[in-house]
Amino acid sequence: MLSILGTDDMTPEQATSRYFKVFIPAICVYAAGTAGLTWVVENADLSTGLTYSLALAPLLAIVCAVWAHWRIANEIDQFLRLIQIRGTLFGFAPVMVVASGWGTLEMLADAPRLPVFWLLPTFWIAQSAATAVISKRQGVF
Amino acid sequence: MKNCLKALRAARKWSQSDLGDQLGVSRQTINPIEATRYDPSLPLAFKIVRLFGRPMEDIFDDEAELKD
Repeated sequence: MLSILGTDDMTPEQATSRYFKVFIPAICVYAAGTAGLTWVVENADLSTGLTYSLALAPLLAIVCAVWAHWRIANEIDQFLRLIQIRGTLFGFAPVMVVASGWGTLEMLADAPRLPVFWLLPTFWIAQSAATAVISKRQGVF
Repeated sequence: MKNCLKALRAARKWSQSDLGDQLGVSRQTINPIEATRYDPSLPLAFKIVRLFGRPMEDIFDDEAELKD
């Protein structure tokens, strides 16, 4: 059955192909949008409201990327899904440790502010690396 | 969990992909089940049992787990 959350009538290869067709453009749009907006905000005299609105626009691309991730997790079979879930947990680990650990230092010890913007790239990089390593160890490829 | 899936598959001259196709899972899932690195879900175990026409305890051996 075809659904926005994925279909169970799909091979892992088809699901992976569909995933990258959404994920890669979404990440490119996010990166280009963020870079472009940074330039605009630094070089144009925008109102605070407009700056907030524009700054949130690239998040639409992230929503698409997360949806693609959700969809592939529904479309692949149980063992491959387990690998994806383990990879995602590995991705969350550094984000949670840094956000909580450094956040506590910021709150209680006046530590320098950490740009939270980098938490998302940290998650994707850690998640991708962990999924690749787990897949390799499990003989997926 | 120990199992004789590899032997059953070999007896029918099926590849891991062939077996995966019949069970509705990928070759990548058959491989760790045969290598006892991954225990199949209950629905998948029932599919395996039905496909080979053998009782569950003939294909899967949980005695090692029960001893622990």
